[in-house]
Amino acid sequence: MRRFRHEGDVVVVDLPSGEQEILSQVLSDLRDLLIKGAGDTLRRLKPPAHLDSSEAELAYREMVDDDLLRGRLEAIELVESTLSGAELDSSGTEAWMQSLNGLRLVLGEQLALTGFDLVNDTLPDSASAALYVWIGWLLEQLIDAASHAQGL
Amino acid sequence: MTAPVLVPETEVAESVDYARPWKVIVWDDPINLMSYVAFVFQKLFSYSKEKAHRLMMEVHIEGRAVVSSGTREKAEFDVFRLHEHGLWATMESDE
Repeated sequence: MRRFRHEGDVVVVDLPSGEQEILSQVLSDLRDLLIKGAGDTLRRLKPPAHLDSSEAELAYREMVDDDLLRGRLEAIELVESTLSGAELDSSGTEAWMQSLNGLRLVLGEQLALTGFDLVNDTLPDSASAALYVWIGWLLEQLIDAASHAQGL
Repeated sequence: MTAPVLVPETEVAESVDYARPWKVIVWDDPINLMSYVAFVFQKLFSYSKEKAHRLMMEVHIEGRAVVSSGTREKAEFDVFRLHEHGLWATMESDE
């Protein structure tokens, strides 16, 4: 069963209850990490903008970090409020994508993955790795549904 | 004839800096799904599916690709939007 499908210009969320519970838990964990500002785990969510100037990088961080954090927390909130089923418009779809991708980036960092782990069959045998694969599967479905819904 | 207006040196430097063209670069992060990266390029920059796919493949194969350019303000905004979507984007002066 597809977890995301397009109907006209909206994306319909249709997750089994067990999967809703898992996502709810991991999103709550992600929120805690974001609020704590948990260092290296969040490295991929806060990449540098300026590689050639620490001064410009500092100014960029001061300018955007609060907005980036607020945006991620608002996106998580939207996902949580639509977990049990919803019709997503473009901004709702964006919030889901950012959250699912954020979860993958954090899990990938925690598992020290290279991105080629599935192809090379070197993915760790752990619940976190299974979660990473599953969230990637959800994200692929969402991208496919959103591409159709938004005519991209 | 209008007399020249004296501008403090720091203001000149800043205006020159902001007027310079900037480019936005996306770097390869193999954790990101290829389909996701292409979707974000289409969505944020209104690129065609073909252009978005080509840029995504350039990131994947070459390790980086210039995805947009313009004023410093525009580059900063594009980098911010890419960071919101979890892509590794940087900006540099196009000189």
